[in-house]
Amino acid sequence: MDPECSQLLPALCSVLADPRQPVADDTCLEKLLDWFKTITEAGSSLLLLQENPCLLGLLCHVLKPQDLSPRVLAFSLRLAGMLAAQEDCFQYLQGELLPRLFGEAGPLGGAAWTAPSVRSGWIQGLRSLARHPSALCFLADCGAVDTIFSLQGDSSLFVASAAGQLLVHILGLSLQGAAEGHPGLQTGDWPVCAQKIVSHIEESLRSAATPQITQALNVLTTTFGHCHNPWTQVLWVRLSPLVACLLEKDPVPAAHSLVDLLLSVARSSVLSSSSCGLWETLAQTLSHLSPTQAGPLALGILKLQECPQALRAQAFAVLLQPLTCVLEATAQAPGLLDSLDGTGGASVTVDTLLPSKAACVGLLCRTLAHLELLQPLPQRPSPWPQAPLLGATVTILRLCSGLATPTSDAGGHLCAFLVGCVRVQRAALDFLGTLSQGTGPRELVTRVFAVLLEYLTSPDSSPTVLKKAFQATFRWLQSSPETPGCSDLDPHAQLFLRELLPVLPKRLCSPCWEVRDSGLEFLTQMIGHWGGQAGFRRALLASEVPELTEQLLRDPESYVRASAVAAMGQLSSQGLRVTPASPEHPGGRQKSLLAELLRILSTDSEGFPRRAVMHVFTQWLRDGHADVAGDTERFVARVLQVASQDLDWEVRAQGLELALVFLEQTLGRPSSHCPYAVTPPVAAPPSPLAQALRPLCRVQLFEFAFRALFDCDRPVAQKSCDLLLFLRAQTASYSGPQGSGSVPEVASVEAALQRWQAGDQGQPLGYLEPEVVVAVLRSMDLEGLRGVLAESSDRVEKSPQSLLQDMLATVGALGEDEADCY
Amino acid sequence: MPEIRVTPLGAGQDVGRSCILVSIGGKNVMLDCGMHMGFNDDRRFPDFSYITRNGRLTDFLDCVIISHFHLDHCGALPYFSEMVGYDGPIYMTHPTQAICPILLEDYRKIAVDKKGEANFFTSQMIKDCMKKVVAVHLHQTVQVDDELEIKAYYAGHVLGAAMFQIKVGSESVVYTGDYNMTPDRHLGAAWIDKCRPNLLITESTYATTIRDSKRCRERDFLKKVHEAVERGGKVLIPVFALGRAQELCILLETFWERMNLKAPIYFSTGLTEKANHYYKLFITWTNQKIRKTFVQRNMFEFKHIKAFDRAFADNPGPMVVFATPGMLHAGQSLQIFRKWAGNEKNMVIMPGYCVQGTVGHKILSGQRKLEMEGRQVLEVKMQVEYMSFSAHADAKGIMQLVGQAEPESVLLVHGEAKKMEFLKQKIEQEFRVSCYMPANGETVTLPTSPSIPVGISLGLLKREMAQGLLPDAKKPRLLHGTLIMKDSNFRLVSSEQALKELGLAEHQLRFTCRVHLHDPRKEQETAVRVYSHLKSVLKEHCVQHLPDGSVTVESILIQAAAHSEDPGTKVLLVSWTYQDEELGSHLTSLLKKGLPQAAS
Repeated sequence: MDPECSQLLPALCSVLADPRQPVADDTCLEKLLDWFKTITEAGSSLLLLQENPCLLGLLCHVLKPQDLSPRVLAFSLRLAGMLAAQEDCFQYLQGELLPRLFGEAGPLGGAAWTAPSVRSGWIQGLRSLARHPSALCFLADCGAVDTIFSLQGDSSLFVASAAGQLLVHILGLSLQGAAEGHPGLQTGDWPVCAQKIVSHIEESLRSAATPQITQALNVLTTTFGHCHNPWTQVLWVRLSPLVACLLEKDPVPAAHSLVDLLLSVARSSVLSSSSCGLWETLAQTLSHLSPTQAGPLALGILKLQECPQALRAQAFAVLLQPLTCVLEATAQAPGLLDSLDGTGGASVTVDTLLPSKAACVGLLCRTLAHLELLQPLPQRPSPWPQAPLLGATVTILRLCSGLATPTSDAGGHLCAFLVGCVRVQRAALDFLGTLSQGTGPRELVTRVFAVLLEYLTSPDSSPTVLKKAFQATFRWLQSSPETPGCSDLDPHAQLFLRELLPVLPKRLCSPCWEVRDSGLEFLTQMIGHWGGQAGFRRALLASEVPELTEQLLRDPESYVRASAVAAMGQLSSQGLRVTPASPEHPGGRQKSLLAELLRILSTDSEGFPRRAVMHVFTQWLRDGHADVAGDTERFVARVLQVASQDLDWEVRAQGLELALVFLEQTLGRPSSHCPYAVTPPVAAPPSPLAQALRPLCRVQLFEFAFRALFDCDRPVAQKSCDLLLFLRAQTASYSGPQGSGSVPEVASVEAALQRWQAGDQGQPLGYLEPEVVVAVLRSMDLEGLRGVLAESSDRVEKSPQSLLQDMLATVGALGEDEADCY
Repeated sequence: MPEIRVTPLGAGQDVGRSCILVSIGGKNVMLDCGMHMGFNDDRRFPDFSYITRNGRLTDFLDCVIISHFHLDHCGALPYFSEMVGYDGPIYMTHPTQAICPILLEDYRKIAVDKKGEANFFTSQMIKDCMKKVVAVHLHQTVQVDDELEIKAYYAGHVLGAAMFQIKVGSESVVYTGDYNMTPDRHLGAAWIDKCRPNLLITESTYATTIRDSKRCRERDFLKKVHEAVERGGKVLIPVFALGRAQELCILLETFWERMNLKAPIYFSTGLTEKANHYYKLFITWTNQKIRKTFVQRNMFEFKHIKAFDRAFADNPGPMVVFATPGMLHAGQSLQIFRKWAGNEKNMVIMPGYCVQGTVGHKILSGQRKLEMEGRQVLEVKMQVEYMSFSAHADAKGIMQLVGQAEPESVLLVHGEAKKMEFLKQKIEQEFRVSCYMPANGETVTLPTSPSIPVGISLGLLKREMAQGLLPDAKKPRLLHGTLIMKDSNFRLVSSEQALKELGLAEHQLRFTCRVHLHDPRKEQETAVRVYSHLKSVLKEHCVQHLPDGSVTVESILIQAAAHSEDPGTKVLLVSWTYQDEELGSHLTSLLKKGLPQAAS
């Protein structure tokens, strides 16, 4: 602890001990504990207490009967636990303080116990304290374990959950030494503390009350999830019959927690290998639970690395059941999934599996989400029923949009449940997108594209559904096989594209900005992927899309303008912006996109479009875009000039990115390992360095970078610092003429930089000679600056000293302003 | 037993970050998804692990509702939807949808700027999150699904702030978000109809405060600014981009106009245009005065307030500058503060709350020597003022709203425990309803009466209508029918129809009573005496003496018999049907009085 903080601490402790003094900000005590945690983790807690007796004073003081704030009491409990985590400090505090803080005589019996923050503080204190064998004896002696048992059912979720976790921790700690070396040690020989916890869990599992069963299952789930020691196997052997008994109850109590536990056990490296009847229990659970409850279990089983094949088949059948039902109800290829259905043809009807709208929607959404998670995994079931899954998903989407005409009563029910259901549409489109990773029969793929087109065309599609339809469409197009030899889209996808492109303009004209934006994002992706392919280019150029995209550069919604900028940048890069001269203006030149983007950069009131422009410009410069390559220096100079004036620091930072690209192109690429290491330029021009620096001087890149170096926004300054360090490294070998005439110029630049650093933006530097730049760069402490910039800009305000000062300053300053808000 | 469950993950006995889970009629709704500006790690967001443990978020939650654009109500939204994985619908009003991303973006930029934070949501995430939003109009009933519906009410506070009613069947909850019950210069007062929800969840920031007159506060503010400008000083007002800043702008603009002041007023560039744009777009959300004068003059097109340029800070002479951010923790406001702090002629007015760890918090707590980077010390000589212009309902306003909505119970959030305790007692005393104030993580469970819909048969209704009385909501009347349950539905039908539908035969139920009469005559004579007496008394009814000796009055049958033990006493057996129960009772009591002597 630094001396300043040591000096402030006694005053703070007396403020905290004074019930008349309110604590200013509810975050202060949390931050104070963070600080103590750092100190105790780095050094001796005992020493901390001895050097700062005020801390012990505070802990003793809170025990006196008084009207102390629950927050301060909770803080003290947590602090005491934190300090007692080290055994020597624990011994030091154990005599009187700890039993009085955590025992029956402490807050436990007092009025303060009604505050959840105090109960939480008590648990957290014990959680920190329970690190060594002495702590275990203490817990047993002061009766804490019984209190923790009761806190598992606390009215506060936070307290109840922390109590469960503390039990897991104590169980682990007590068995750490005892059972580690003796894997065969039975629970009867376990330490008393562990036996007590196990008995409590057993009692809870036998209970008729679901909350108690849930608590026990949660404790076990965390235990098996976190601890993979051999004793966990002994524990499972003892408790698994009780867990299995839960399955005999109807309905199965705490099904969700039971599933979590079984999966946690199955994932445990210690247990799954020996099984201990686990697979049988899992199979039994799968068949006992309702389809909604069994879904997560089935998914969990299928995600396991090792698991008996029969169980996997059963789990997959459970997962597929709702989709089988959909296919059967719509009389599509009945029995299509039979081969995978491990239930042996025990057909489940729509009426039983999907009895009401809520149940149907819920189950289908969950099933689709589970399958979406499963699809990309290497351990997914094989063979993967790609075609039936595609068929079912397309059917669901058709039922949702009202396209399907049901031929049976069951199909009619499904149709009534699903028509217009956005939740199912979203889930089905997500899954359909994922299914693009596999292939399917041509006829089915045609149906996929048809249903996607229907969704993209339908006026009933909501903006969120449309966004997902665009995403799924892009994924399916991406997965379409390319025509051999010409790397173009296959004729099938081309056909789809021809139908799709007339739809896009409608979406780009939608009154919903969300739809316009999703349309533009989709377009940008498409151009990025197929911009170079003849079929796509022809179709795009024949459509209104490029023209409409350009119009959206002036959209009232800034997000849309930004997306339009990105799309136009792509169109232009791919040479897709060129349109035939309009009949009204034959031969008339269309307005330059560069000028339009510069207009946006200098006048748009929102940051997103300006940032998008900078991104496009940087890309253009990198790619040698025609509009840029003509007069690169003029382009860079104009962009930097506008960017330097921007109020959005991200635009200024991107200006530096563009400057770096220009620098690389002029001088050569920086080393990827160390941006300011001395390395010879890789692609340096053959001319002398001064010659090479001259274009940079002409575009006033140095003025831009030097100003950015003292920018009030730290990322800009950091980026500039990196750029200048790179530049200095590049010029390290330079020993060009330094005429006497240049010295006063260097001094004046340095003086200007100092003024800038002091916050005075002042006069511009004007044109600088390369020699002056090199000299200024050499004289600057860029490394030092870099070190400063690497730290948070508010680190002083966030420092412990500042925290203590703030807490002390608040005393007396609080009045009516106490705990105000926005 | 149906119940409503409420668990605050944030705003339970604090004003940090609002996030309240409500479970109603089997639906789960998240009310607000705020961020705590006082933390810079994961603790700034609510702990969502308590919901994710219930399975997939999108399956568990039916919707998220955002009350307004302040970050303590919406700041965690992109994190929740793009990083935690919620993919369901998000509801907010149109102005909130428009302004939310601006504030989120500002906050993101400051967070990344200050520390180069990597694990923070990106611009793209903010956009993707906003694309999931379904914007709602005031008083528009929005069906989230077949059972869950929501409706927004005007809340004042900031542009677009709304209270939300969440309804499933006959159960409903109203969540106020932050609200203001008194109109100000640009917004109106919060209003809700007498919707009688099962539960009203209300903010309680000023639970124990009766705020002084707004006029006084405004006068004080203007006086201080005027004095500083008069003595040649510069005035810095750190604000958040949109919100209360516009209220202060209107205040200064009007004052400058009235006093013909010349000192320039500046607002961070870009923000005036933005504010202007949004206030024009959502003019219907402002107060009546602004809406009325809008055609002649847009109040947000300021004559005296100009866009600020960084270079202006060094200009000589007085000026007033509104700069962001509002807590002096980064950016332009902090930069200007550093420049001006050393001059005692200058002034900084903090119009809102500042969290610990910011320069704003330091100067508000009276610190005048601030450590800067490199052990430099900045001496604050400028005048520091705090004037809260946050627009929350005070204790009186909260009571007023409870009175307006007439809830069955009240739950307090977004306030301090001690203050809540006081208000809780006041509400319980005055309105005789239960009031709760759960801490974060605590669940309040309210049992609700089950509501079972009953269908009524057209025939029965027609029969009622045939009686000539038109239905009148204010005059309830009795309707007789038979309640039948068939195919899990309840229906009220006529008894004939019920018998027919259920295939049952009708049974007659008769009430009987024995009346002892002292009469030594024969039974037949007693019956005649009874007949004569009733005939004379019940003139409006049909009284008959049947050949078998019994007497009837409508459906009531009277038979006389001899007493088995006492020959001087006769027993009258009286029986009647359910329909004539009233007459039967009357007749029995008449006979119990005995027969008149004159007849004998």
